[in-house]
Amino acid sequence: MVNKEIVVVGAGPAGLAAAIEAAKAGGEVLVADLNILPGGQLFKQIHKFFGSSAHRSGTRGIEIGRQLLAEAEKYGVEIWLNSAVIGLYDDRVVSIEKGLNSGEKELINIKAEKIILATGASENVVRFKGWTLPGVMGAGAAQTMINVNRVKPGNKVVMLGSGNVGLIVSYQLMQAGCDVVALVEAAPNIGGYGVHASKIRRAGVPVYTRHTIIEAKGTDRVKEVIIAELDDSWQPIAGTEKVLEADVVTLAAGLKPISDLARLHDLEMVYNGVFGGWVPKHDENMESTQSGIYVAGDTTGVEEANTALEEGRLAGIAAAESLGYIAEKDAKERKDDTWKRLDGLRMGPFGEKRMYAKNEILACFPARS
Amino acid sequence: MKSYDVIVIGGGVIGTSTAYQLAKKGYDVAILEQNDIASGTASRTDGATLISDKQPGIDVLQGYHSVELYKKIAKEFSYDIEFKSCGFMYVCETDAEMAAAEDYAAKVRAQGFEMRVIDSKEMCEREKYLAKDLKGGLWTESDGLVNPYKVCFGFIEQGKKYGLDVYTHHEVTGIKLDARNQIEGVITDRGNFITNKVVNACGVWAPFIGRMVGINIPIEPRKGMLLVSEKTDIIANTEVIEFGYWLAKFFVDFKRPVSELVEKHNVCMNIETTHSGNTIVGGCRLFRGYDIRSEHEIIQAIAERAIRFFPVLRDINCIRTFGGIRPFCLDQLPIVSAVEEVPGFYIAAGHEGDGIALAPITGLLMSQLIAGEKTDFDIAELSWARFKGIDLAKLSARAS
Repeated sequence: MVNKEIVVVGAGPAGLAAAIEAAKAGGEVLVADLNILPGGQLFKQIHKFFGSSAHRSGTRGIEIGRQLLAEAEKYGVEIWLNSAVIGLYDDRVVSIEKGLNSGEKELINIKAEKIILATGASENVVRFKGWTLPGVMGAGAAQTMINVNRVKPGNKVVMLGSGNVGLIVSYQLMQAGCDVVALVEAAPNIGGYGVHASKIRRAGVPVYTRHTIIEAKGTDRVKEVIIAELDDSWQPIAGTEKVLEADVVTLAAGLKPISDLARLHDLEMVYNGVFGGWVPKHDENMESTQSGIYVAGDTTGVEEANTALEEGRLAGIAAAESLGYIAEKDAKERKDDTWKRLDGLRMGPFGEKRMYAKNEILACFPARS
Repeated sequence: MKSYDVIVIGGGVIGTSTAYQLAKKGYDVAILEQNDIASGTASRTDGATLISDKQPGIDVLQGYHSVELYKKIAKEFSYDIEFKSCGFMYVCETDAEMAAAEDYAAKVRAQGFEMRVIDSKEMCEREKYLAKDLKGGLWTESDGLVNPYKVCFGFIEQGKKYGLDVYTHHEVTGIKLDARNQIEGVITDRGNFITNKVVNACGVWAPFIGRMVGINIPIEPRKGMLLVSEKTDIIANTEVIEFGYWLAKFFVDFKRPVSELVEKHNVCMNIETTHSGNTIVGGCRLFRGYDIRSEHEIIQAIAERAIRFFPVLRDINCIRTFGGIRPFCLDQLPIVSAVEEVPGFYIAAGHEGDGIALAPITGLLMSQLIAGEKTDFDIAELSWARFKGIDLAKLSARAS
């Protein structure tokens, strides 16, 4: 058994921000991530971020990722990649299947004083006839292929879902040389920001609102996609089917928090529709119902990279404070500042409902005995 | 208020079997279950239905009758319980184990059941991935496997054809007794029921129901853990158990040549292949109260032991682990009995690791007891009366 002060699960924006804050204060921090590259989803975000200058607006996700990694290195954060956390046990023991340079894996159990879970979110799927055919994938998966792996998923794409992910990834697919033959949306209106939608429209992508995919056809991969119009009760209207020639279907149907580790370890959970599903209850320090286990980022509710960063900071500051690395007064100031920035991010027509949802989660936190 | 001839508390494998048999006899029966069907011990187990892991005597006798019933049920039920008569093999690592195994097999045969001593060569013919350095083993042709969830659902589906009612998410909070201590009804968090017969089929939770009628049932949770592999080509054709498992079950002091970790957690190898092609390996027997969480040291010990007997497992991924609790009874025999001091109160619980294997026969015996019929064989050894004169209050305090 190895001892570490703080183990962070997930090297995305929340995990890295938490690790940096805790290490900066003097804590010994290990970050484990099952991917072969750190940064979570940041390195595929080649677009500029929104928000105020305090939130690095105008900076591309990929650049934020680079800054975080440089900071993590500067403060001595240890990062294990290709290393899956496979279990949490009593007395904060973390089981990690550590990836070795040889390609082998080694099981290492670590006794941690504090654990920060920043495991992110996963894409929702939409089931229709033929949805398991090669060529049908999450929009985020397609984005990883083009922006990180530099592989075109195919040539002709049907995008399902017009939230920001659907819009941004459609545009990036076109930049990568794909032809987006249709953007299909079940709701009567486009879901994401106007600025992203305009880019798509200017590029001439046909947008089908009140439509859905009925079937993906093909023998060993997608060849054709059948879409149809929906009535007021979201049912396909017979006779409105259209056949589109396409070899890729990307699904941008939202995300759900990855909370498996939290549930495995019996952290108390609460369901929140705005945040995409079951999330661990937490207090204003991002501490869960089990003392010493913190949660941050999309695992506490699907939002954006900016909010994940700030929540990660909160968890990192709180963990370092409880280990005695930051004085109470100083920690309070820094946490208050972070909460102010988070409140700023959760405003406006798109953000407000997330502020209410977060407040509901904070309000249901049980008194710790 | 709803009224029934018999109310069975517990929707696990014992409760559903008992309720099915009673409904089949024409009784108006209901199951009350605090969660859902097969949500307790029956959902955290392997599916071995063995006669060969029992002590000679009533234990083996019940096992035999139960496997025979499974064969019948598998044909009769419209619901597929995935029964497979795959045979069963004990494997011995040392000469001392082999001697104990031969002795055991002789006793089982003396009782009239088949169990053959086999050598390492035959073992490896039956199981090509088995370690080649074992001393020998025992073979039983008739033992098999079921899907424990589907057994419960099968009993329910079949029982419903005879009018069985099922109330899930009904937690029993009290039992009404009249002035003569006779059962009058059952109180739940979602309404009361009238009945004058109650079967306590709550397994590890049986002591809680017992206390509602003023008796202390000597059952304690005994934890086990299993590892599940990814789907692969079939690694084990049959149910295979190290003979040390049987020895450890009945003779706690038996020592094996194992690592400190395996020794510390009393881990013994058992392996089986599920219907869907995953391999399940276990196991252990530990007293941890009602805590069913996985423990990392035990996961490692189980993996180590499984690789000892099936070296190929070293290269296969474990995708899941889980723990469960068995209803361990003071003298390691189940209680299948009326309770004389509380007329109308019956217990069918305490099967430890044999609940799945013994469910069919337990249900049948319980229905015969309730009907006042002669049981298929003498079950005085399973009676509640066997605990007379033992201070159960002290024992059951540990289970609370």
